[in-house]
Amino acid sequence: MIELVEVSRIVSSGSVQLTILHPTSLRIERGRSVAITGPSGSGKSTLLGLVAGLDAPTTGRILLDGTNITSLNEEALARLRGEKVGIVFQFFHLLPSLTAFENVLVPMEIAGATGARERAAALLAEVGLSDRGHHYPSQLSGGEQQRVAIARALANDPPIILADEPTGNLDSVTGRQVIDLLVKVNRDRGRTLVLVTHDPELAAFTDETIALRDGRVVDRRSQVAAGTVAMGGQP
Amino acid sequence: MSFVFRMAWRETRSSWGRLLFFFVCVAIGVAAIVVLRSVIQTVRNTLTREARLIVGADVVVQTQRAWTGDLAPKLATVVADPRVLAHTDVVETQTMAQPAGGKGTGGLRLVELRGIEAAYPYYGAPEIEGGRAYTHEMVANHGLLVQPDLLREFGLSVGDQISLAGAPFTVRGVVARDRIQRSGGFALGPRVYVDLADLRALPLLRFGSRATHMVLLRVSPDAVVDVTQFARDTFRGDTVGVRSWRTLEDRIGRNLRTSENYLSLVGFAMVVLGGIGVWSVTRVVVQQKMRSVAVLKCLGATSGRVLATYLLQVGWLAAGGCGLGVILAAIALAALPQRVIVSLGVTAVGVTPSAAAQGIAVGLLVSLLFALVPLLEVRQVKPLLLLRADTVGTVRRRTWQSVVAAAVVLVALSLVAIWQADSWRAGLYVSGGLAVVSLALLGVSRLLVAAVRPLARSTHFPLRHAVVSLRRPNNQTGVILLSVGLGCFFVLAVRSLQSNLIHEFNVQLGANAPDLILIDIQPDQADPLRAAVAPYVRQPASLVPLMRGRVVGVEGKRVQLATLEDVRKQGEMTREYGITHRVSLDGNESVVDGAFWSTPLTADATPDGLDTEVSIEQDEATRGMVSVGDVMRFDLSGRVMKARVTSIRKVLWDEAQNGGFVFVFRPAPAVNRATQTFVGFLALGGDPAARVAVQRAFLAVAPNVSAIDVREVLASFREVIDNATLGVTVVGAVTLVGGVLILIGAVAMTKFQRLYEAAIYRTLGAGTRLIASMVAIEYGVLGLLAGVMGATGALVMSWALATGLFDIRWRPAPGLLAIGVLITTAAVAVVGLIASSEILVRKPLGTLRGE
Repeated sequence: MIELVEVSRIVSSGSVQLTILHPTSLRIERGRSVAITGPSGSGKSTLLGLVAGLDAPTTGRILLDGTNITSLNEEALARLRGEKVGIVFQFFHLLPSLTAFENVLVPMEIAGATGARERAAALLAEVGLSDRGHHYPSQLSGGEQQRVAIARALANDPPIILADEPTGNLDSVTGRQVIDLLVKVNRDRGRTLVLVTHDPELAAFTDETIALRDGRVVDRRSQVAAGTVAMGGQP
Repeated sequence: MSFVFRMAWRETRSSWGRLLFFFVCVAIGVAAIVVLRSVIQTVRNTLTREARLIVGADVVVQTQRAWTGDLAPKLATVVADPRVLAHTDVVETQTMAQPAGGKGTGGLRLVELRGIEAAYPYYGAPEIEGGRAYTHEMVANHGLLVQPDLLREFGLSVGDQISLAGAPFTVRGVVARDRIQRSGGFALGPRVYVDLADLRALPLLRFGSRATHMVLLRVSPDAVVDVTQFARDTFRGDTVGVRSWRTLEDRIGRNLRTSENYLSLVGFAMVVLGGIGVWSVTRVVVQQKMRSVAVLKCLGATSGRVLATYLLQVGWLAAGGCGLGVILAAIALAALPQRVIVSLGVTAVGVTPSAAAQGIAVGLLVSLLFALVPLLEVRQVKPLLLLRADTVGTVRRRTWQSVVAAAVVLVALSLVAIWQADSWRAGLYVSGGLAVVSLALLGVSRLLVAAVRPLARSTHFPLRHAVVSLRRPNNQTGVILLSVGLGCFFVLAVRSLQSNLIHEFNVQLGANAPDLILIDIQPDQADPLRAAVAPYVRQPASLVPLMRGRVVGVEGKRVQLATLEDVRKQGEMTREYGITHRVSLDGNESVVDGAFWSTPLTADATPDGLDTEVSIEQDEATRGMVSVGDVMRFDLSGRVMKARVTSIRKVLWDEAQNGGFVFVFRPAPAVNRATQTFVGFLALGGDPAARVAVQRAFLAVAPNVSAIDVREVLASFREVIDNATLGVTVVGAVTLVGGVLILIGAVAMTKFQRLYEAAIYRTLGAGTRLIASMVAIEYGVLGLLAGVMGATGALVMSWALATGLFDIRWRPAPGLLAIGVLITTAAVAVVGLIASSEILVRKPLGTLRGE
């Protein structure tokens, strides 16, 4: 479960204090898929970065499966990410010096997992890239790179998958394949999926949509009847 | 840990070619360390192993006087000691040699004569050509053994005759190898062995002649140290030297170990230069790897593991560089000409395990230390940059950790330097000097880059953009200027100094300056010799009387030294001096206190009952606290002379054409009675025929007289300077190569940015020629700045060395420096252009799509 309690993010730009995210509270239950939508600069990626422990909130607490990540240092956050969070980026961010197979292998090696090679091969097969494992990222298409990134995000079987504009850099057909993969992971494996997108069509694939504007949650809508939603901190 | 190994391996796999390039710079430094240490260790091991063969005996006692007077009973005491098993006399002196019996070229040559007895030597007999064993019969009864050079020069062979001091000797053999060293100083000619009895019969060992009288002792094997000490105690207070193969072994070991350590610092400096390259490339690599680091952190890797990954990568690349360095060293040693190896006194030189280990250790340490500070930046990389593009180009922040790390690295580098020099002082000087020079050069490079900044407003498009490029992000300008500038500085400084020294010698050897010095002229030979050489000399021969004496007492205002022992205790004026007498000052002298006499003393004594007056050189008077009016006592070969100091002179030693003297006596009957010889100074000019003729002429009337050819000595000096210059130039050239490698690597590091820029320029209409001229101008400006830095440093260094160390007049060498700057500019421009060739040929679309 992901829980944000009065979380805000303020940055300094010279002498000006800029509020990127106003105090926000929300809870996302385990196994749900949530799309965070909004125009550029609305605070979507900031919110995702805070949930991933990539950034620290100015105020408030963030709990992942009951662990208050705002009290953890960088090293502990890194370990927590390796264990509980898989991240998929808009620009893929594969390691260019590693093959596709090795890119999938890395999180498991960091965690010291056993049977890593077999699992990496299985994950590549799952995303339909069994025959591309020995290729370097520069030898793969955008869609293939993103599928490798999804396989990598699943490597340690994390309970939470965070995706930042996962189709933003892909054509519509390839984007559709990628979103199908993510939704499949959410539904078949029961993993929590938080998806940042500005594309309403993409958001429609998730259980619920949270709309942000100017750093505030302005709308929260459920696509399916199931699920528990709790909101707070609204202006 | 396995993750760290695997990631380091994968990272290396993709970029080793680019990175290893920088470790080639480290490899060059490591090779220098390994070569220098290996050569010196081999020489040291050989020499210390052969110390007894080099001395030829267990213990040697030697003096410049014959074993007469009070020395005789002391010598008898030493040789009578029961621990002394045998002893034999040896005398070394110089004389002129020429072919006899109407054969050969008719040349003349100063040779080093060694007169020996049947028992010589106890160890390490000379090896004779043709595999014959040495026996004393070869020299007995006017036989002689010579070195091959002399026979070649004279056009003679075994069985022919050579005349020494007017007496004919038969060449009985040629010495192929002679390990026994001379008693001291530099050899002025090839060595010739004669029987000591024959040498004593020649007119060469008269009182006052330049000869070294030695007694070689063979002692009980366990008594070498004790007998050495016993002999030293016995001859305490006399000018008698005592040495043994054990002391030689210690001295060789000590001296060569010091040389090894100090020379290794040259290699260390070069490794540090490579290290600066490693630091520079690591900095750029970290910038380029920021995304990868952020990804790893996103995937759960801690900063420590990421840092360990990259450190490990640096570690094994450095190990590769060090291994390459050892291979380079082995190749360099294998390529050493046999002539050089033999001149070192050894038969073969290879890489020694200890030298290889030290080289590798230094290379690894320096590489890791230099890589550590930039690598610490990975700790600051935030994984957030993967979500927010605006955090990618984060400004490099100086944290307390990086400051502490830099301080630790500096201390560690100093410790490596101290370890290499085996001396706190030398190590600290070198590391401090390197730090100061590097900071100064980096500072100067910034100033120079700032100085050319106005050119960025030039109307000339390529020049404007070339200057702007010097300040591009991640530019390597400072490092390139540092490395290329340093190499240029080495080469130009040593070349400038060489030109100054050679010019100075040429000035000293002016048209009318004496260029042949005759020694050991006996008083009765002075007038005949003067007449004999008169037809050949450009100005009348100057014959200067020479006495040898020591100060044995001073009754002065500031100092009272009653006995020789008191003089010794004072610690000044203790050596044996060459003393002359005359009635006028030489051209290089001036009186600073008192008055110099103008007439000889005709009375038997001065009015106050002294033998004569004396003038003393200013510095010696200051050190010995002697003033005008003091009375000094001298021992002139056993005759005591009392003289009042009546003047103190300033002597310009560099301009001494008739030698320079600390003490000058007023001529007086008592002075004339002292034993003396004359030294002749002849000005002949460079005509070789005249030089041979004059030597024949004086040998006819004074066969015992030896001649030192100043022109030959200066030629030898010049050779030494040339060799030293060559050595330092090689170091400079290697440094330059290192600089060029760093330059090529730096071009490679900024290649992607340059490719992108070139693609943009092309889309805006720039052609290959325009882009090439921009690149060429950029590197030309870089080369010009490096050349100016190097030339300025060379100018300052040559001035400092000329005036401070060599004490000669400094002359700037503007032509040389200008050529140096031009060559550096052209070289850097060409290398930059070649290294950037991909930028010039790549199609823009591919690059822009890639972006």
